[in-house]
Amino acid sequence: MVEFLIANMAPIMFGALVFFLLFGYPVAFALAANGIVFGLIGIELGLLTPALFQALPERIFGIMANDTLLAVPFFTFMGLILERSGMAEDLLDTIGQLFGPLRGGLAYAVIFVGALLAATTGVVAASVISMGLISLPIMLRYGYDPRIATGAIAASGTLAQIIPPSLVLIVMADQLGRSVGDMYEGALIPGLVLTSLYAGYIFLVSIVRPSAVPALPPEARTLRGLKLLYRVAFSLVPPLVLIFLVLGTIFLGIATPTEGGAMGAAGALLLAIVNRRLDLSLLKQAMDSTAKLSSFVMFILVGSTVFGLVFRGVNGDLWVEHLLTGLPGGVIGFLIVVNLMVFFLAFFLDFFELAFIIVPLLGPVAEKLGIDLIWFGVLLGVNMQTSFMHPPFGFALFYLRSVAPGADYIDKFTGKRIAKITTGQIYWGAVPFVLIQVIMVGLVIAFPQMVTGSLHESTIDPADIKIELPPMPYTPGGTDPFGAPPPIGAPGGSSGAFAPPPPVFK
Amino acid sequence: MQALLTISAGIDRLNQAVGRAVYWLVLLAVVISSGNAMVRYTLNMSSNAWLEVQWYLFSAIFLLCSGYTLLRNEHIRIDIIAGRFSRRTQVWLDVVGIVLFLMPMAVMILWLSWPMFKLSFATGEMSSNAGGLVRWPAKVLVPAGFLLLTLQGLSELIKRIAFLAGAIDDFGPQGGGHAPRETKPIAKAEGL
Repeated sequence: MVEFLIANMAPIMFGALVFFLLFGYPVAFALAANGIVFGLIGIELGLLTPALFQALPERIFGIMANDTLLAVPFFTFMGLILERSGMAEDLLDTIGQLFGPLRGGLAYAVIFVGALLAATTGVVAASVISMGLISLPIMLRYGYDPRIATGAIAASGTLAQIIPPSLVLIVMADQLGRSVGDMYEGALIPGLVLTSLYAGYIFLVSIVRPSAVPALPPEARTLRGLKLLYRVAFSLVPPLVLIFLVLGTIFLGIATPTEGGAMGAAGALLLAIVNRRLDLSLLKQAMDSTAKLSSFVMFILVGSTVFGLVFRGVNGDLWVEHLLTGLPGGVIGFLIVVNLMVFFLAFFLDFFELAFIIVPLLGPVAEKLGIDLIWFGVLLGVNMQTSFMHPPFGFALFYLRSVAPGADYIDKFTGKRIAKITTGQIYWGAVPFVLIQVIMVGLVIAFPQMVTGSLHESTIDPADIKIELPPMPYTPGGTDPFGAPPPIGAPGGSSGAFAPPPPVFK
Repeated sequence: MQALLTISAGIDRLNQAVGRAVYWLVLLAVVISSGNAMVRYTLNMSSNAWLEVQWYLFSAIFLLCSGYTLLRNEHIRIDIIAGRFSRRTQVWLDVVGIVLFLMPMAVMILWLSWPMFKLSFATGEMSSNAGGLVRWPAKVLVPAGFLLLTLQGLSELIKRIAFLAGAIDDFGPQGGGHAPRETKPIAKAEGL
């Protein structure tokens, strides 16, 4: 029994973690308690030294002094101010008016605003809820097919995960030990491609089934001509300029993400003041939410640090590494298994849990296999995003359900009776977008240059981009997937165009 | 029971007050950090002390607000399974969680981190960066934060036991997790 425990400490610990988490107690504390319990068992069995826990306070201090995560409260605060002050709503409304005459115009507006407001959330809940509250009633009022409306909202809500300056990417960069700027740059093109794929789908629907995505009727287009121009200039341009300034300075390396975030937060405050939208209660609300978000995010990190300390102590990292490097198919096997695993875990873990628990275990293995970590991070990001809108477990769908009308209601503008949204409609609405996501995961795998291209521009040799290269992009010409990784700075993943087949989810 | 509930209400007020005071540091951090950035571009100057203030503030926010976040029940949980249980069962699970998970963890880190602060305070430890700040104010945040968390854990425990014993009808926000905004959705499992 004791030998069995000693030999299998890491798997048992991991199993217990899953059990503890499902038990529904806050993740941060379940993680930390799991670490402590197994630490004590490990000390009792002689696997660990009692001095192990002495390292904890210094680890926590290390988390405090972490520069990267400082950006988290700033971007959260910026997003909250933009959203709570009604600027996000204005943005949606203005773009809706701008695209109003177009079929599918409102859906485009939802998608673009979802992409633009990426900054606001690290948690899927927030953007789905606010978009659902603001735009779902409008879309239903003007006769959108409920499935298209809910699908577009759920999907755009999750866009926040992957488009810079998302909190998700900051945390991912931190956990993978890469720079946030690189992570942003790597995610930019996939994020834009994804947005265009969404918009492309809406365009397709507007041709095939125009009645599902009607244009706004003339009486609903309250703004025209100069008035519209005025609105665009005053409610569309300023937040856009702010977001682009923040992103631009980070991309160009002028500002660190922390500085960019702080400037963005200050800018959002200034905009709110100029628009006379800032009052004390709004400010307090935003600070309150920011403080609580910072606290729960950082406490998950504290919890996973306690867990990680002990897990590594009992050689859990080696266990994971053996498990993952021993997969058939080497790198491809690793990618398939990891993607499937993350996909299924994301049904019941939100992003921060995944990033702090799973990513630190996967990162070192991926690096050892010679996988470009930026590419890996973006791939995981897109993958999680898929999972968040996959019926029946996706978080985005749950949150949309919670704000979608559960009973028929009378629209207060038109006086028309509007049918309730069924859960089935939300599920079916998500399906096309999930398919788009799966295509996107495939694209990221098939064309790693999409991510790495902008990072290693100078090192790409066009001659290298050939389909018939070995299927492992990071070991050019090599057949041994466990061979030495390319030197740091080498175009990991960018030399070969071909790639493992996209994992098939279903 | 009534005496315990009084203690619990006192702790709730304490953490509420701490939370509401500490969240102003968010604004302060925004001002200082954006100020730092501006000064760096315009005057090409930067000061380690001002850079370190940024993470002192951030640490103060997340550590000191941990009890407040617990009071508001906004530490993320996975309610996909637990959300299906009855209210009473959930409260029972919470009691178990507080006793087995939260309290041992918080007390242990509190106990381990105190010497780190004491040593730093006694030696007058300074930042290793030139012109950096004295370290103990940052290090005291760890035991302080975990003390507030331990207290709040105690208060939550009292409230839940009182609820189970029928001494109070209800307490604070429930469900929780996954929605750090004011617009709280219904718990995941209830949604469908």
